[in-house]
Amino acid sequence: MKVLVTVKEVAEVEDDFEIADLDVDPRYLEYDLNEWDEYAVESAVQLAEAADEEVEVVSVTIGPERSEETIRMALAKGVDRAVRVWDDDIEAAEFLDVASKVRLLEAVVAEEDPDIVLSGVQAHDTGFGATGVALADAIGFEWGAVVNALDIEGVLNDGVARVHRELEGGIEELTEIDLPAVLTIQTGINEPRYASLRGIRQAQSKEIAPKTLSDLGLDFSAVESELFLTDMYEPETESDATYFEGDAGEQAAALASALREKGVGAE
Amino acid sequence: MAIADAGSSLTDEQRAIRDVVREFAVEEIRPTAREADETETFPEDVWDGLSDLDLTGLTVPEEYGGFDADRTTYALVNEEVAYGQLAVATALSVHCLATSCIAEFGSEDQKETWLPEMTRGRPVGMFALSEPDAGSNPAQMSTVARRDGDEYVINGKKQWITNGQRGEVCILFAKTDPDDPSSVTQFLVPKDAGFEVGKKEHKLGLRASDTTGLLFDDVRIPAENRLTEEGKGLSAAFHILTGGRVGIAAQAVGLAQSAFDEAREYAHEREQFDGPISDIQSVRHKFSDMATQIHAARLMVREAARQDDAGEDPRTAAAMAKYFASEAAVDVTNEAVQIHGGYGYTTDFEVERMYRDSKITTIYEGTSEIQKDIIARGVLD
Ligand SMILES: Cc1cc2nc3c(=O)[nH]c(=O)nc-3n(C[C@H](O)[C@H](O)[C@H](O)COP(=O)(O)OP(=O)(O)OC[C@H]3O[C@@H](n4cnc5c(N)ncnc54)[C@H](O)[C@@H]3O)c2cc1C
Repeated sequence: MKVLVTVKEVAEVEDDFEIADLDVDPRYLEYDLNEWDEYAVESAVQLAEAADEEVEVVSVTIGPERSEETIRMALAKGVDRAVRVWDDDIEAAEFLDVASKVRLLEAVVAEEDPDIVLSGVQAHDTGFGATGVALADAIGFEWGAVVNALDIEGVLNDGVARVHRELEGGIEELTEIDLPAVLTIQTGINEPRYASLRGIRQAQSKEIAPKTLSDLGLDFSAVESELFLTDMYEPETESDATYFEGDAGEQAAALASALREKGVGAE
Repeated sequence: MAIADAGSSLTDEQRAIRDVVREFAVEEIRPTAREADETETFPEDVWDGLSDLDLTGLTVPEEYGGFDADRTTYALVNEEVAYGQLAVATALSVHCLATSCIAEFGSEDQKETWLPEMTRGRPVGMFALSEPDAGSNPAQMSTVARRDGDEYVINGKKQWITNGQRGEVCILFAKTDPDDPSSVTQFLVPKDAGFEVGKKEHKLGLRASDTTGLLFDDVRIPAENRLTEEGKGLSAAFHILTGGRVGIAAQAVGLAQSAFDEAREYAHEREQFDGPISDIQSVRHKFSDMATQIHAARLMVREAARQDDAGEDPRTAAAMAKYFASEAAVDVTNEAVQIHGGYGYTTDFEVERMYRDSKITTIYEGTSEIQKDIIARGVLD
């Protein structure tokens, strides 16, 4: 059995930052593994650990060489090997929209032939929340979005993903999805582990295979986007936050009187 | 400038280890610090987490399941754990002293018996050198292990033993001949051999770490539990402590860095005279001094570790690093309290605990005065 996990290195913006052209000035960015993907990786590794037969966990990233440090951390947590898609054409692409990413991931799926694909619900930086589901559509897999519980035994023994899906308003849905399938994983589905020192050591010699567009049988047209960024700006803040000083009791009292002033709560 | 990267010729592996341990320190260790300090209880869940990360087997050879870290990695881990909480770092480094002794001096049997389990975190190790009347000069110790057939019979009192309550395996130093100062020998004494654990000391800082006396009253251990030849114990202790010193120095750096970061955040937020106090020049200059001290201390630790890893004699560099970094930790935590003003004097702010914790680093594993002695020997004689 093979599990493919899509992972992304996302940019985190510092508290104070500036915008340069159409993006946050890179000086104010730090990079880390997308939070949702941490949970997807953990689910994949748990699947492999619970299985009697060999389960291979492969991660795929679209990202520059810089992202290898982040990918290594996933390898340290138990991912067996990694694929990293990047080349000059991708670098030069103005904007990698969901459709472009799906074209690249689709080609990787064709090469890897996984039984199940796990992705995060969304990426912390661009926040489209669409890649996993769009990929499922492109490769003709079933899908389950916003999965916050997964029955591992079902996946391993019955070829069925029994999942809880988080709906709006605190409702949960129980769904059975036949494999092969794409599941987009919600935070909180598990408790992502810390990489152990031995895991980190082993990860240094695990494979991160670089792939170019041509390696995947694609050309630059794969990253031509129909979506263009037109502007990026900071919205004006319309209200100010008040911080109540003091211990919990004092803070609660201050909050209560502020609410009462605004007309909230019983007289 | 990314200060933590300073002078770094760190490998990718070392960098990744540092990052993971830092994250663990911030997310899992630091949040337990206040309560652990207040109630004088060791955060055992955190210890189990250290074991999951393989940190409790940091200095155990790989064939016994350990990680067998080089000294640079050892220092990085110590720095980051101490960034979370000094008491946890101290407990870990003492556990590592114990596993190092067993790995280096133990028989194959002893290594098989103890190291795989200690790698998994329990039993916890102790290192019992100091006595009520023998601190800076351990040769003055009076604990005696008298040979009796195929056993040793131990009598005496050890003092200031970290992990005294939590620990189950004691690396003990004792004289085999009470009249011969050069007869100090190293033994392995499991707690169930029957020594008594004294009361827990109530301390200025490092309060989550259990420091106790150990009382040996005709405690019998099999002769195989002797780790070194008779009379070779003290040189073995000094050898192990040289590596340990780099760890303590690294802990001082981590503690200082944590206080620096707290002060930095506070200085940006706290406003007086119509602006953040971080705009006031004399406050800014405090940060210049603190950052410089931390930077220098960290580089000294890295250099001592490098010498050790390269097989050079690191004694002088390790003593310099321990001396400088621990004094820097006292200075930096002191200034961090000062920058917090009255708030820094209350237990509501982390710097208050850090300030109290810092003082021990100039005392244990050789006081600053003793480090200067070692340095003078290195540069003069
Ligand atoms: C919290 C804590 C944990 C500890 N953990 C352990 C442990 O796990 N295992 C262990 O074996 N020990 C441990 N120790 C003991 C510690 O290593 C000793 O306290 C330290 O070595 C100093 O010994 P002392 O307290 O007897 O002081 P002394 O040796 O009595 O020193 C008193 C003062 O005299 C100075 N002085 C002494 N000799 C000289 C000299 N030759 N030149 C200049 N100045 C000198 C000292 O620097 C110091 O300022 C711990 C101590 C504490 C407080």
